[in-house]
Amino acid sequence: MKELRYVITDELGLHARPAGLLVSNASKFACNIRIKNGSKEVEGKSILGVMSLALKKGDEMQIIFDGPDEEEAYKTIQAFLKENL
Amino acid sequence: MLKKLKEMFGKNTENEMVILSPIQGEVCDITKVNDPTFSDKLLGEGVAIRPENGRVVAPVDGTIAMMFETKHACTIVSDQGAEILIHVGLDTVNLKGEFYTAHVKDGDKVKAGDLLLEFDMDKIKEAGYDIISPVVICNSATFAKIETYTGMRVQELEKIIRIEK
Repeated sequence: MKELRYVITDELGLHARPAGLLVSNASKFACNIRIKNGSKEVEGKSILGVMSLALKKGDEMQIIFDGPDEEEAYKTIQAFLKENL
Repeated sequence: MLKKLKEMFGKNTENEMVILSPIQGEVCDITKVNDPTFSDKLLGEGVAIRPENGRVVAPVDGTIAMMFETKHACTIVSDQGAEILIHVGLDTVNLKGEFYTAHVKDGDKVKAGDLLLEFDMDKIKEAGYDIISPVVICNSATFAKIETYTGMRVQELEKIIRIEK
């Protein structure tokens, strides 16, 4: 299991476009991916789930990867977040 | 007789569900929208509606999953399990709520036709935004088939999408 913490730097937070891209990236992996915002936890491969976290600039998200390709998933998602959020 | 009436009004059957138009206007092909998030179907299958007025009503009986804080979009889960995103205008997250009024909130139960939000079409256009509004089925991948009905003007609650489970 791997955990990634990331603070949103984008002014607009996690709106439709980055949410869609995040889910699209996450869905490529076999491992289980859960995303948390404080106490709220959602399925990382669900668009509605990810958008419902309503992550804004300055919020810290935690992503938990659990499964065979968790290393690769972690690296891919980390790179994606740095570039887009 | 009842079954025939249900078919006429596009009610849902066991394997099929119908999504009605939340907005009055012209139903366009989503691949023609000027935003790859929608035209590339990143968020799912759907249509885009060019509004004729500033009203958005519930396209299904269901529950509001989320009314965006910026009120430019909302997600709703139909009682049959379709997850629908209605996004009023492109890039309108940048308006940060200006020109939008929400009438429902997260968790509200709604019936098709209930007013979800209102928006000032003219002011949004004046501010330089494209008002075309995608209506997307976010869990498209879980369904066998999604059919869209584009190329015509619709009133609120006319059929725009048909989903086969």
